[in-house]
Amino acid sequence: MNGNDDKTFDDELMARAAQLSAPVTPERDLWPEIEQVISAPLQPGRSVWNRVWAQAAAVILLVGGSSGLTYMTMSGSEDATLPIAAEAPAFVFEQASANFGSRYTLGPDFQDARRGLAAGLDDRLGNLSPEAREEVMQNLETIRKAIDDISNALTEEPDNVLLQELLIETYRDELSMMIKVDGITRAAMRRGDI
Amino acid sequence: MALAADTAADELRWVRKAQAADPFAFEKLYRANVDRVYGLCLRMTGNRSEAEDCTQDAFIQAWNKLDKFRGDSAFGTWLHRVAVNVVLGRMRKSRREQDRIRAVSDVAPVRETIADDGELRDLEHAINELPSGARHVFVLHAVYGYSHGETGDMLGIAEGTSKAQLSRARRLLVQQLEAEMK
Repeated sequence: MNGNDDKTFDDELMARAAQLSAPVTPERDLWPEIEQVISAPLQPGRSVWNRVWAQAAAVILLVGGSSGLTYMTMSGSEDATLPIAAEAPAFVFEQASANFGSRYTLGPDFQDARRGLAAGLDDRLGNLSPEAREEVMQNLETIRKAIDDISNALTEEPDNVLLQELLIETYRDELSMMIKVDGITRAAMRRGDI
Repeated sequence: MALAADTAADELRWVRKAQAADPFAFEKLYRANVDRVYGLCLRMTGNRSEAEDCTQDAFIQAWNKLDKFRGDSAFGTWLHRVAVNVVLGRMRKSRREQDRIRAVSDVAPVRETIADDGELRDLEHAINELPSGARHVFVLHAVYGYSHGETGDMLGIAEGTSKAQLSRARRLLVQQLEAEMK
């Protein structure tokens, strides 16, 4: 093939590719299952819990799998001695009438750490690869949705100890995720500085 | 009978109703857009069953995120972006899963084609054989006509990377199609 043939073949390829954009009808109706999910009525004492547990399960799965984020971001690094992240501050619980259930609030150290990490999160996310950044943002969205759902469930059952513990764990997961991002970006900056 | 949205104004009206949590309005939007979304998912995944799952996930996510649609672009374009994100997210998860599966089994995924025309079917088959990065860029840019900027934005890659992947895809496709002709 000479250069002109190559160009013609390439043009034909692109022209034919554009013909492939025609809509395709699925072989079965996909709507009933979609409708089932989006129309699921919230039944007191059942659906709220299902949703809460589903969210909690999602958080557990993503936290369990979050080593992928570390691998994705740190792969290629020769320096295995760098610290990934600091330890999360211990939780301190105080009697209060805040929005964390009706009896507890997050301890001041935890709140300071959370505020500090959240404030610089956007900058730190900017240092990650697009793939890692998207994964972190999706994970944080899942965690924060779980926090909202559990908090909502707690407004209905403020004395439910199981829900309170679930909320504590989920807040802890959020903090761990932010600390991990903080540690990864700091380590990446140190590597870049050498 | 398809409940197609007749005009852009109709579609926007259904969007506003759906944003007010009206499932009937959302079904109208689904009927009007499902074939385009499914086609995109099918071409990106190369697998009917996976494309069905992606399509369902895309519409469920669209329902959950409808409040974020402000009408800056056509609803169909916004839906395409949601679908691309769903496909990429599922592929990332399944890649991790496949890494584990490959340890015990080396079964290649079944690739399926759509076109009736012989030449188009050959092209579809060749597209399905492309590495995922090149395939996604080729499908979005060459098949659906998105610019490199839009393609890069949807896939989370730089515009230059999109161009490089397209060039790679073309080269591999030409090689494959020439080999099939011999």
